[in-house]
Amino acid sequence: MNDNKRYKAVIIGGSAGSFSVVSKILSKLDPDFPVPVIICLHRLKHVRSGLVEGLNMKSKIKVVEPNDKERITGKRAYLAPSNYHLFIEYDNTIHLSTEETLNHSRPSIDYTFSSAAYTYRDKVLGIILTGANKDGASGLKDIHDKNGTTIIQDPDSCDINTMTKAALKLFEPDHVMTPEKIAEYLNQLAV
Amino acid sequence: MTYKVDNIAEIKTYLKELKKYSPYDFCEYSDSSIYRRINKVLEDHRLSLDELMDKTRSDSLFVEDIVQEITVNTTEFFRDPEIWRDLYTGYFPSLKNKKELNVWHAGCSSGQEVYSNNILLNELGLLEKSNIVATDLNSKMLKAAKKGEYNHRYNHKIIDNFNSVINGNAFADKVRFDKYFEFSGDNDIIRVKKILKSCVDFRRHDLVKGDISSFQKFDIIFCRNVLIYFNTNLQTRILKYFHDHLTNGGMLILGNHEGLTGFFKTKFIKNGPVFIKTNAFHFQY
Repeated sequence: MNDNKRYKAVIIGGSAGSFSVVSKILSKLDPDFPVPVIICLHRLKHVRSGLVEGLNMKSKIKVVEPNDKERITGKRAYLAPSNYHLFIEYDNTIHLSTEETLNHSRPSIDYTFSSAAYTYRDKVLGIILTGANKDGASGLKDIHDKNGTTIIQDPDSCDINTMTKAALKLFEPDHVMTPEKIAEYLNQLAV
Repeated sequence: MTYKVDNIAEIKTYLKELKKYSPYDFCEYSDSSIYRRINKVLEDHRLSLDELMDKTRSDSLFVEDIVQEITVNTTEFFRDPEIWRDLYTGYFPSLKNKKELNVWHAGCSSGQEVYSNNILLNELGLLEKSNIVATDLNSKMLKAAKKGEYNHRYNHKIIDNFNSVINGNAFADKVRFDKYFEFSGDNDIIRVKKILKSCVDFRRHDLVKGDISSFQKFDIIFCRNVLIYFNTNLQTRILKYFHDHLTNGGMLILGNHEGLTGFFKTKFIKNGPVFIKTNAFHFQY
């Protein structure tokens, strides 16, 4: 499936246990991976710094916490900053918001997935990882409904599989994969 | 059944009607946020866009409610404590030489940051010589700000944040929380004390319209996480007001993940969390 031109972005959402999974995926990514990667992880509000540095230690592409209105470009990963929701604006820029929490979360993964679904339609790949709540499941379904591609981390490979199971309950994803397979899958998109 | 509107053009038509029938102009809000906020209003009130349009034309009290729901009013005491600590220990002490200090909180919402800043100013001995203006679009929010009473449940980080900002220096005497706040109603209500409230002039003001001709020049303008809801045209216009209404060397303090756009990158110098007004051109920030 040599369809790397198809995707305008890869969106990854995760919660409890997902830091190491995202870190693993980023560490195996081709350094020239051309599609922008947008990451929304739940984090503790008081642990503000360290996450982006932690991901950058292993990632093959640069990970940034974007400012509002920042243009989205390839060979880069964008991490939703602490205490902000991250949306994708119609003109392919980042939009940050401090509005109310959704599913007790800010950033909310549902918001990031849904905005990606509306902006990129079928040209987006959404991935949901391990996590202990339901945030993200309905947003990933929005991507599915707009004919985007969806991957759910294999619940058996999750630290906590509440999030992946919630997504599996809502729709049938294109793929259910372990973290290793997800990295391989992404790289073959970039071939 | 869903009340959601999928088409941004229809929402923009609604915004034009709202502008015609009320003092509120959201036409230059950023697309995705206004799309989401209007859709939230439709779902919460179980209205179609046509029904919302009709109510907007005929019911001005309803419009006031809607406006409060469209705008984002979340705010916290000492949101991003590390920035407040920087202001407290690094940037504000140099203001001690000034005869008076003019501060504007643009988009103050329910006032938590106004009072956070007043605590810093008071601890630095600056509050007495400060003129503080706090403005918001929304009269309900201003009323709440003036009242200065907060539900502890929704402001539960207040004590931690207070200590991390004000009592961050292990060698200094500790400032007690009850110097500025009192609890009531089984500790569920936190009330801001008079010393922080009496010095603030709360006024209704719409940044979109930008009429600040009656305002003096300011040494500090706070506008945190407000411009993010506007499109870049409107942002640039507001940054121009700010630039015009800052003293030379005055400080503009934006949210943690906000930057300057376009031309105004060259008119401020970024220093930590603070954008400092300059009249000289420079090419970095």
